[in-house]
Amino acid sequence: MLENYFPILLFILVGLAIGIGPMLLGWVLAPNRPDAEKLSPYECGFEAFEDARMKFDVRYYLVAILFILFDLEIAFLFPWAVVLEQIGAFGFWSMVVFLAILVVGFVYEWMKGALEWE
Amino acid sequence: MEFSTVVFYFFAAILLLSGLRVITAKNPVHAALALVLAFFTAAGLWILLEAEFLAITLVLVYVGAVMVLFLFVVMMLDINIEQLRQQFWDYLPIAALVAGLMIVQMVLVLGGETFGLTAPAPKPADYSNTRELGLLLYTEYVYPFELAAVILLVAIVAAIALTLRRRQGVKWVDPAVQVKVKREGRVRLVNLKPQKPELKAEEDEA
Amino acid sequence: MTFPMPDLLPAAPEILVLVMACVVLMFEAYAVRGQADRSEIVARPRVAGYVLTLLTLLAAAGLTAFTANGVSATTFSGMFVDDAMADLLKLMTYLAGIAAAIYSRQYLADRALMRGEYFALLLFAVLGMMVMISASHLLTLYLGLELLSLALYAMVALRRDDAVAVEAAMKYFVLGALASGLLLYGMSMLYGLTGTLELNKMAATLAGGVDNPVVLAFGLVFVVAGLGFKLGTAPFHMWVPDIYHGAPTAVTLFIGSAPKLAAFAFVIRLLADGLQPAHADWQQMLAVMAVLSLAIGNLAAIMQTNIKRMLAYSTIAHMGFLLLGVMTGELNGYGAALYYVVTYVIMSLGAFGLILHLARAGFEADALDDYKGLNSRAPWLAALMAILMLSMAGLPPFVGFYAKLTVLQALVGAGWIWLAVVAVLFSLVGAYYYLRVVKLMYFDTPHSHEPVLATPGDARLLLSVNGLGVLLLGLLPQPLLALCLEAMRLTYG
Repeated sequence: MLENYFPILLFILVGLAIGIGPMLLGWVLAPNRPDAEKLSPYECGFEAFEDARMKFDVRYYLVAILFILFDLEIAFLFPWAVVLEQIGAFGFWSMVVFLAILVVGFVYEWMKGALEWE
Repeated sequence: MEFSTVVFYFFAAILLLSGLRVITAKNPVHAALALVLAFFTAAGLWILLEAEFLAITLVLVYVGAVMVLFLFVVMMLDINIEQLRQQFWDYLPIAALVAGLMIVQMVLVLGGETFGLTAPAPKPADYSNTRELGLLLYTEYVYPFELAAVILLVAIVAAIALTLRRRQGVKWVDPAVQVKVKREGRVRLVNLKPQKPELKAEEDEA
Repeated sequence: MTFPMPDLLPAAPEILVLVMACVVLMFEAYAVRGQADRSEIVARPRVAGYVLTLLTLLAAAGLTAFTANGVSATTFSGMFVDDAMADLLKLMTYLAGIAAAIYSRQYLADRALMRGEYFALLLFAVLGMMVMISASHLLTLYLGLELLSLALYAMVALRRDDAVAVEAAMKYFVLGALASGLLLYGMSMLYGLTGTLELNKMAATLAGGVDNPVVLAFGLVFVVAGLGFKLGTAPFHMWVPDIYHGAPTAVTLFIGSAPKLAAFAFVIRLLADGLQPAHADWQQMLAVMAVLSLAIGNLAAIMQTNIKRMLAYSTIAHMGFLLLGVMTGELNGYGAALYYVVTYVIMSLGAFGLILHLARAGFEADALDDYKGLNSRAPWLAALMAILMLSMAGLPPFVGFYAKLTVLQALVGAGWIWLAVVAVLFSLVGAYYYLRVVKLMYFDTPHSHEPVLATPGDARLLLSVNGLGVLLLGLLPQPLLALCLEAMRLTYG
């Protein structure tokens, strides 16, 4: 079975080489003469007055966690799609029940306004 | 040494290094990114174990979704990493003790021979781990499968009940209402009679 | 391939509770959408959640009682079992859920917690407990536990502007996740050792002897540690006082009652069912945990000034007592432990119900000083509280006495006389702080003479029934005790 994944391994290796190669070349070949001024952060000519990172609104968190939950739900769909022909009506309906339970959550989420961005 | 063993050590080395980076990185965002790399290489290891579905799920769910959440949370919280670091040395002895104990246990327990297990024969090329899982998951294991849905539902309810806040005084228009607007709701024709301005009143004001 | 339809009848109560929890959730969603101004809370649709919850639990109780026949029925490929112990524990769970809902209605309404989510989460928690109680497979045992825990974490934090409650929820969540990790780690070792997740098969494999006792010992240590966390026994008890104290009292009432039944089922299913052949190994661990719990629970409770915290430490001690019954590894001991947990839940419901009853908007009634001179302000409530405290202390003729007695008898019967002596000694220590509450109520002068506010009649009535029930069950201990022993005999005899 593992031999099926050999192209993917090659792909990863080639990807790594393409990603790292130019960076290495740049690091080796490019002139590098830093000084304090060059390394200091600047902001269009004036002194930087705050950190580049700023706090996110908690609403992003809600969106992200809802995304994860439905992402997990989708993960369960893959094996189901692969074996749908073999597991018969019972397997079909077991997924329908699974989805129905989550649809309850989806309706709740929608009606509560968790999907709205006011 | 077999080729798959070489690949194993390649992934394992990257996994260990990125794992170390997660706990040593000064910047929490870097730590989160190192964790992505750790997940990725762990997925590689799982493929080597012929657990391809788990590997795909790891990339899909953890790298794709959980890490996004991690990054949000890291950015949401104003973590003062220096303050956290001060306590590092206080906790080091007990942490080292716990870690040492765990290593001893792992060595004692996790040798394959301890369980009387030998490496299973490699599966043929047309073997699909996903199919095998699917055959069991939706039939034999239907009860835990539906329970998983219920747990996800509770998580949805909990997340919304705990973090959703309505803002007060937000200027916000429902697009549906906006679309439904008719001319009658906006324009009112008023029949005004022409009038002569009353001069006296104006003089008074002036 | 056609898969035969599993028999759904044994799981009918679970299905009912699941469907109704979804209905409650939908009610909440549509109630909110129907409001003109969403920031204002409309009371009427939200009472629907409360009523639906009560009806659901009553209906589930009817279903469970109707299908209870003392025969073990398994379904869902042997992952679900419906036996006499499960029926008894489930009935108690519904009862605890109903009492929790009725007691806490006024409290929730005063604190804007009367939301559909609260009741939906309560039903989901009940569902999680039912799954745990009926589990015959490590996977369902674990999933039920997670379902229960997730719902409880959210319930603790539901009052999200209260920093203490949110901190309690954080601690509960982090320690709960740690405990789940320990439990899973132990379970994975047991799986590696026996090659099965089904408890019956695991017992059969272990009875045939294992190649490597080291793995078994490590697996057991992790599993028992995880159980200790979930039960709240020393040395894994740190979360209990903080969560009991920090959570809204209505949630504390719920956490302090029904989940103990589920935790008991968890212990029995896992240790007495799946790991019975390894009995000698887990017995010592339980003995250590029990003695530590009795010591820490009873000694630390003396120093508390907050009654919720005091009752939290008392829970730790009671759970230690429960473990004493389980550790005998005999049918008598299991039956005694079952009787103990059932009576403890009744007492705990009453005690927290009384705290809820005294609480008003903006006043929690959770300091011990608030109980000073309660007798002069509300003699009936003081009498009920006195009954509950004396029963918890284990004084005759209240039911707590018989519960302790039964466990001690089982313990002596199994030859653990020194443990019985230790248990009695610590119970004597424990009696001190229960009696102190009685003294405060009857012999101290109250801070304020304002009368106790009139609370809803149904809660008052149920509280009276609860308190008098503790007395009645103590005067006539035989029926319930016989029921518990019989349930255990039918299940594991």
